[in-house]
Amino acid sequence: MPTTSTNSLPIEAIGLQRTFGTGDEQVKAVDGVDLQIQQGEIFGFLGPNGAGKSTTVRMLTTLLRPTGGIGRVAGFDVVEQANDVRRNIGVALQDAAIDPLMTGSELLHLQAVLYGLPKSTHATKAGELLERVGLTAAGNRRVGTYSGGMRRRLDLALSLIHEPTVLFLDEPTTGLDPMSRISLWEEIRRLNNDGTTVMLTTQYLEEADQLTERIAIIDHGVIVRKGRPSELKAEVGSPTLFVSVDAAATEPATTLLAGFGELRPSPEGTLGVGLTDGPSAVSNVIRTLDDAGITVRNLELHEPSLDDVFAEATGYRLEGADA
Amino acid sequence: MTTAPTTTAGPAPRTRPELHQSNVAQTWAMSKRSILALWRQPALVVPSMIFPLFFAALGTASFSRATAIPGFPEVDSYLDFALAGAIVQGILFGSTVGATALATDIENGFFDRLLSSPSTRSGIIVGRMAGGMAYGFLQTVVFIAVLLPFGLTIKGGVPGVITMAIGGTVLALAVGALMSAMAIRTGSSEAVQGAFPLLFIALFFSSAFFPRETMSGIYARLADINPISYLVEGFRDLTIEGFTWSAAFRAVVIPAILAVLTVTLSLRTLKRRLGAR
Amino acid sequence: MTIVDETTGLPERSVANTRTFPASVGLMKRSMVNIVRLPSAFVPSLVMPIFQTIAFAGTFFAITQIPGFPTDRSINWFLPLGVIMGSGFAGIGIGFATIRDLEGGFYDRLRLTPAPRASLIVGPLLSALVRSFIVTTVVFAVGSLFGARLTHGPSGLIPLYLAGLGIASIGTGWGLGLAYRFRDMRAAAIMQLTFFLLIFLTEAQTPLSVMEGWLEHVARINPFNQVIGLARLGFLDQPMTWNETWTGLLALVVIVALTMVFARRGLDKLSDE
Repeated sequence: MPTTSTNSLPIEAIGLQRTFGTGDEQVKAVDGVDLQIQQGEIFGFLGPNGAGKSTTVRMLTTLLRPTGGIGRVAGFDVVEQANDVRRNIGVALQDAAIDPLMTGSELLHLQAVLYGLPKSTHATKAGELLERVGLTAAGNRRVGTYSGGMRRRLDLALSLIHEPTVLFLDEPTTGLDPMSRISLWEEIRRLNNDGTTVMLTTQYLEEADQLTERIAIIDHGVIVRKGRPSELKAEVGSPTLFVSVDAAATEPATTLLAGFGELRPSPEGTLGVGLTDGPSAVSNVIRTLDDAGITVRNLELHEPSLDDVFAEATGYRLEGADA
Repeated sequence: MTTAPTTTAGPAPRTRPELHQSNVAQTWAMSKRSILALWRQPALVVPSMIFPLFFAALGTASFSRATAIPGFPEVDSYLDFALAGAIVQGILFGSTVGATALATDIENGFFDRLLSSPSTRSGIIVGRMAGGMAYGFLQTVVFIAVLLPFGLTIKGGVPGVITMAIGGTVLALAVGALMSAMAIRTGSSEAVQGAFPLLFIALFFSSAFFPRETMSGIYARLADINPISYLVEGFRDLTIEGFTWSAAFRAVVIPAILAVLTVTLSLRTLKRRLGAR
Repeated sequence: MTIVDETTGLPERSVANTRTFPASVGLMKRSMVNIVRLPSAFVPSLVMPIFQTIAFAGTFFAITQIPGFPTDRSINWFLPLGVIMGSGFAGIGIGFATIRDLEGGFYDRLRLTPAPRASLIVGPLLSALVRSFIVTTVVFAVGSLFGARLTHGPSGLIPLYLAGLGIASIGTGWGLGLAYRFRDMRAAAIMQLTFFLLIFLTEAQTPLSVMEGWLEHVARINPFNQVIGLARLGFLDQPMTWNETWTGLLALVVIVALTMVFARRGLDKLSDE
């Protein structure tokens, strides 16, 4: 195995770029992304759909050639040393694309062959992994008969066959029921405790809050926030007040609320404002609206959450996020 | 229902348009839809135009000397002989397109919506097939028009061409109805396309590409009992011998008899489908 | 569980280089699974060449009466054509399966492995060769029942099998190359149509000496004509000599090489989209 530079990072991107198309129709999907992910970290990679998340991950996992910048994974260049990168990473894919005609056990064997594991280890390895993800009983059934959650767990097992040091998980829990989600979280923590560095893309901010030590938010191909969730929340600072008023009063209410702080993205049918003076300003808000003859239908005060960080950074609130 | 001025108190009833029961208008609307569908999806119909012409051209270049084989009818060129087979081949292939569309209508529920509207059942079926019939007519005329500059001669003249066009139209109805029965029965576009090779087999075990007189053994016997042989030979005699009532009869009446059988079959299949629910 | 490598600061890994051959065999096995588990795809690919052989031999039964025709059995003339069509579609079937893998995303999983890129092509190719072998054997067996005879003894089977395997490789290379470039079912239509045209614009139906006009000119320069000639060597009344053989073999080698390069380039291009 080629040696790598001393103390290289498990995942590193320097000015990573990807453009699609040519001429006037050229689109910059990823426009100079810098990432430094530390050894043993669980790193969350967030962003709205189409922001460049998947494109970045596809470049770091050697599936897509960058059009600019440098990507290094496990100390190897993703273009020049693609095969060394592949040997060191595990990737669980978003749509859990698995051949429905094969059985779980056959797929694990194929994966072991393709990773060049010694033949004598194939059977034990496959058995261990099936047990680890709770699919021992289903191992000899065709994948076509699996449920969505089972496929996701098999996909994780497939990505672990060669004991990767760096694991990419692309929206691993999307579409899973809460129980399956929590058991997958436990598995991710366990892998992390064993020394595996994890880069996790997710739509669920709660998931990022629960699992990750640091996050980066990408929007329009550019990293817009980076840091520990706690630090980022503190940066947002003021709590958010969501106010619902009658539709007719939306406009005057918006003007009045702007006097209490910056307006923030809010769920449908409500107005959001970051209270510069903190929670104590709530009573003033009610009084001001009341004086203007606007009836307050509902009122909610939220301490800064990752959702607020995300909304402030991208202007979106993710669907299903707890506002 | 018609609207009438109301004298009672309370909210005035909504005015509703008058609903006429016009079979002709409904059938026409359905026909227009199926014809448009063919027009708008050239990728589906082009192969059934190109392939028969390609094979006619290929055969003419390959089998020109075969016309001297004992048992081969007297022809100026293999092209004259091949026209009938090309027309029937094109119509068999083209007719699956409409039936596949019908099966897709069933798959996505549009067919049920049609059935729940006050249209007549036969209007739905005939309308569906009208596109196929128009296309069968078009194929016959186009094949003749395209091949004429390449040395095709039609001994039957204008009456022969008209007879073939009618025969082609009726054949398209006959095959379209057969495939539609299949579509209604299975409700699966895949099954309809899967039945396509059966038409291919029926075509090959006939005299569509070579005269029955030159075949031998079981193969010759299969071609002898295959109605497609007689139908093709009707078209072919109109081309290579001239207009005779015997040839015209085979070119039109055989597909007509087939059409009566297959349309009946498709209507009965539809009735069974409705009865089953 | 993990030991940290002192030089890299990363956990030490010891995964050997994956070698091309075992990886190819693994992928071949995966590709063969379809034969047993997706019979609706495999059975037609076996039945169609049999049907084609019988239908052509029966319909055009009399063409051997044309003066100068190189055999007096129509089944001898059309059996090798059936083998060529069946083997070619065995290869093109690999293209179809790969389109499904690309559309479904399974192909990403294969590309993520460190298996040598060549094995992603060689694996499916091996499975196409196995399919071609099955098709050739079955078509020959059924054709023999319908009266096909090897005019130069069993050695006539060698060029038949070689031509079948070669056409299967061409179908695979062409099919994979198009699948990689289009990544959807458009590729399937193109591979079928082009293959069909190239096979029929040859001596597929009658020998050059019998043809007239444009087809003779096209067939004369169409390299696939040499391949069909190779397949027919053992079934004709003319002598089976090296002179007749080498052009067919050369045509096969050249076209196989070109289509494999086409496939390999296409595979590399997948990382650009």
